[in-house]
Amino acid sequence: MRRLLLSLAIPAALLSAPAFAAEAWGLKDEKLVSFSGQVVDILCTLKGDCPAACGGGKRQLGLVSEGRLYTAAKSNTLFAGATKDLLPWCGRTIEIDGLLVENPAMPILMVQGIREKAGVGDFAPTDQFEKDWTAANGKADEWWRADPTAKAALADNGILGRKDLKWPK
Amino acid sequence: MKRTLIAAALLAFAWPAAAQTPAAGKRVQVSGEIVDTWCAVTGIMFGLGTAHHQCAVWCAVGGIPVAIRDKDGQFYMVLRIENEDVSVAAPKIVKIQTHQVTVDGELFERDGVKYLLVDKVADDKGIVNLTHDEHGVVPFGE
Repeated sequence: MRRLLLSLAIPAALLSAPAFAAEAWGLKDEKLVSFSGQVVDILCTLKGDCPAACGGGKRQLGLVSEGRLYTAAKSNTLFAGATKDLLPWCGRTIEIDGLLVENPAMPILMVQGIREKAGVGDFAPTDQFEKDWTAANGKADEWWRADPTAKAALADNGILGRKDLKWPK
Repeated sequence: MKRTLIAAALLAFAWPAAAQTPAAGKRVQVSGEIVDTWCAVTGIMFGLGTAHHQCAVWCAVGGIPVAIRDKDGQFYMVLRIENEDVSVAAPKIVKIQTHQVTVDGELFERDGVKYLLVDKVADDKGIVNLTHDEHGVVPFGE
């Protein structure tokens, strides 16, 4: 029964991912948020190890707002982070909206929309990963299944991650 | 009043200074499963072991931060692994996604998040958390 519920609920939740900013996902501990913050390279902020341009896409990025560091874990593109969306704003203060998931074990932020100036204009959806991926690989209904790196990683040991296990059985 | 002014001044200058000053974290050894943060932290789906391996690979390749989840449910976000200079879709992380590992590294904590710079993967037991019999393959079932 649990498997049935999962198989129905999870894809529905994923496929209903919001196309525009600030939409709830119904996650535990989630809060709709909108705030202005400075885009930062997290490792630079913590350790003072600061390559140019926030690492040029190699580093995980975050936002600092009123002294708090928010880890930007997710964008509007399914299965994709927010680095490509935040990178052009490295060091600058922007306004974002999205979901803050306040899990006591690790609060993380899903950035759904970005705008340059607080309160001015519309939020642009965080879909840069998908744009870049399509430009590099061509259009695909599901980038994650078509991605060469992911396919190669899963080809080695299968979707369960172990050569000795088969799925479906 | 004087104390308040001093405190305010210290707060005003503390953040910029911290951002630029080289700092050392705490030396730690952490054991747990490599997970993708979005699925595991939000609980959007069952996010552990063989049932979630494929999704965890997709998320890591997509640049979602990866963490080590220990036996107590604590998460340690990996910002560097060994000598790799990338923490977005890092090839080494993709390769050991869902594995049970023990790592030595440097820990920073800020605003409720534990950040880990992994110096060395001291032990890698591979994928030992066999969850697919109970949960199938999540999401999508295939």
